[in-house]
Amino acid sequence: MSSDVRFTDFKSDKQPTWCPGCGDFGTMNGMMKALAETGNDPDNTFVVAGIGCSGKIGTYMHSYALHGVHGRALPVGTGVKMARPDIEVMVAGGDGDGYSIGAGHFVHAVRRNVDMSYVVMDNRIYGLTKGQASPTSRSDFETSTTPEGPKQPPVNPLALALASGASFIAQSFASDALRHQEIVQKAIEHDGFGFVNVFSPCVTFNDVDTYDYFRDNLVDLQDEGHDPNDYEAAKEVILDSDKEYQGVMYQDENSVPYHEKHGVTEDMSDIPDGAPEDAMDLVREFY
Amino acid sequence: MAEDLNWAVGGEAGDGIDSTGKIFAQALARAGRHVFTSKDFASRIRGGYTAYKIRTSVEEVQSVVDRLDILVALTQRTIDENLDELHDGSAIIYDGERSWEAEIPDEMTAVDVPLKSLAEDAGGAIMRNIVALGAACEITGFDVEYLDEALEKRFGGKGSQIVENNKEAARLGQEYVAENYDLEHLGYSVETTDNDYVLLNGNEAIGMGAIAAGCRFYAGYPITPATSIMEYLTGRIEDYGGHVVQAEDELSAINMALGGARAGARAMTATSGAGIDLMTETFGLVATSETPLVIADVQRSGPSTGMPTKQEQGDLNMALYGGHGEVPRFVITPTSITECFWKTVEAFNLAEKYQTPVFLVSDLAMSVTEQTFPPEAFDMDDVEIDRGKLVDDDEVDEWLDAQGHFRAHAVTDDGVSPRAIPGTVDGAHMSTGLEHDELGRRTEDQDERVRQVDKRYRKVETAQEEEDWDYREFGDEDADNLIISWGSNEGALVEALDYLEEDGIDVRVISVPYIFPRPDLSEEIEAADDVIVVECNATGQFADLIEHDVLTRVKRINKYTGVRFKADELAEQITEQLSAEVPA
Repeated sequence: MSSDVRFTDFKSDKQPTWCPGCGDFGTMNGMMKALAETGNDPDNTFVVAGIGCSGKIGTYMHSYALHGVHGRALPVGTGVKMARPDIEVMVAGGDGDGYSIGAGHFVHAVRRNVDMSYVVMDNRIYGLTKGQASPTSRSDFETSTTPEGPKQPPVNPLALALASGASFIAQSFASDALRHQEIVQKAIEHDGFGFVNVFSPCVTFNDVDTYDYFRDNLVDLQDEGHDPNDYEAAKEVILDSDKEYQGVMYQDENSVPYHEKHGVTEDMSDIPDGAPEDAMDLVREFY
Repeated sequence: MAEDLNWAVGGEAGDGIDSTGKIFAQALARAGRHVFTSKDFASRIRGGYTAYKIRTSVEEVQSVVDRLDILVALTQRTIDENLDELHDGSAIIYDGERSWEAEIPDEMTAVDVPLKSLAEDAGGAIMRNIVALGAACEITGFDVEYLDEALEKRFGGKGSQIVENNKEAARLGQEYVAENYDLEHLGYSVETTDNDYVLLNGNEAIGMGAIAAGCRFYAGYPITPATSIMEYLTGRIEDYGGHVVQAEDELSAINMALGGARAGARAMTATSGAGIDLMTETFGLVATSETPLVIADVQRSGPSTGMPTKQEQGDLNMALYGGHGEVPRFVITPTSITECFWKTVEAFNLAEKYQTPVFLVSDLAMSVTEQTFPPEAFDMDDVEIDRGKLVDDDEVDEWLDAQGHFRAHAVTDDGVSPRAIPGTVDGAHMSTGLEHDELGRRTEDQDERVRQVDKRYRKVETAQEEEDWDYREFGDEDADNLIISWGSNEGALVEALDYLEEDGIDVRVISVPYIFPRPDLSEEIEAADDVIVVECNATGQFADLIEHDVLTRVKRINKYTGVRFKADELAEQITEQLSAEVPA
């Protein structure tokens, strides 16, 4: 397709039904801009989403897309990338989708290091089911299902990724449009699994992790002179629960993506009209 | 009836029982004899009783029977477990030098061979099973040269010394029996032919069919007895540009396969009972997003963990009805090992032609049974590939709406929509498990909902008209007694016909490889006096369907011990049922 792809080409004509002011608007805009900026177009891009507010993204974006079942977007993305190493794969999820029901898949997608980007809209609450605690909710966060708070520590998705052997770990803030786009772009460009946890405030149900809270507390790693290639430094930042960071925490420069490691290079959609020419060899093997 | 020889080796898991049996089966196949194998095994890695049984004849054999002629027993339990099948003329090869004292009934011939020490003479105790094979050759007069060929095939990759040692071990076993026993009175002889046969099991046939049909992506999670499909594909599919991923669980496996299919690859996953339960979550998504996907279920005894290494055909209702909501699907049930191959090819074609999930329902008996076939039974020239309405860049235009959006779920007369895969210019679209419009976008509009549900079911109607939902038939077409079967029972039924014929009972057998859609059997059932449905489950799931289809009661033969039907046993039960009353 033409090289003059604009980010609006990734936009569908469907109006989002997210609540006015939802962080997901900014998150999605950044994703579309990052895709266009990295030279992709809707015809060579596949976007996978799970269930929840984040899952709606496939409807609002324009590309090849699948809106899957709850928590299983990463395996779908893995399948797409295996069959078509030539296609840009982006997976979108939420904190419930990705760190609760899909936590197992997250760990394994990370360790497989499949060459795709995974953008998680983390609002620290279940939005679409109207305000229950999520895996990233604070331990004292009162919700309809946790009147006294969950009384358990939130999942630290960045640490989970690190422990699973991630080759790219980043965090961004939906409202800091430029930085968010830049970070997602880096995740796309990364050779391997590019993981970005996005603070994407829920204006309806979360009155703690608000835009103001993040604006006041966010520390940009760029300002701190953080070196993402430094594993020890990354560990320190990721395990620091006192601060909220944005930026690329960790990137393995020697990352080899799954398909390269396993020699998966062919377009699997292209098959012969009948059995392969030497298919009788498969039978002769049983002599 | 086939003049056959029944042979088995048994011992503890970990004794190399499986490979010993396989080597002998391959030797017999190389000698141009037909072979049918079965396995007794438990769900454990080491220890416990395990056996590999071979039935062989110059004529085709398709079933196990209740008879053992030669038994290599590495443990007393091997003898005890098979007492019912041993007879006066049976020879039992064992090692009297080992610590156990074999208790062998007097009427049977005990052949005491120092398996371990002869193996050590040949180069290592590990070859004691091969010594036993040599001994078995001598008892049956089977030329040990064929065994040599099988040993070369088995150990060729490990170097010529290993091959030579094994050949020596076989020869020492043969010579020992020749020098110490005179067994001619047993009357065993093994005729050979010039026929070339291949020897394979149902799971290998499914894997081979998948590659032949252009399957390039497989995702699965290990589970008995489906795992060997994944093992077959791993290491072979790469030669054709494909790849296997061992997923973290079945939920992931089916979603990966779904991703591969949406990206345009012919994709597949396989599992067994408990894994199907997990996959059921995604099943509706596969159907509603109209993704072509082949899901193989190699059934085992359920429910729950059931008996993981035992036979059952208990998942039929699950395949037909599994998943919430109403979902169009195809359910195909291969009835033999060759059918495992051909129905897999067909499953991929149906999946792409109709953009639906296809359940390929096999069972444990077929998955572990090896059988001989002429290679032409898998003639790759006969493999046809139909990718359905896959559109390319030039054809997309016909399917764009006024705004230039691709109508991936276009409502058509035959219910099948055009399919654009990633990379197709202007074909970009989304698909979802939500009810959607022609563009794949969510809708709750009542009319659109009805249109899409009808469209998806129209695919089944189209397929019902356009495809051959045929059945296989055996026995006497005009017989008053009709037996209906599905899945792996076919072979035993075909052989049961011989037993029934001896008793003067004429039977017509219909073996059904399609459960949904399925052939209309009303005429056949109306023409018959007695109708019996045979299946390996307790409740008669297929019998229920037949009764529902033709609004009549049928007789049933159900077996749910965990063991497949045997030909002689079936003949007996059929005779019994024929004189029984039809249940009210």
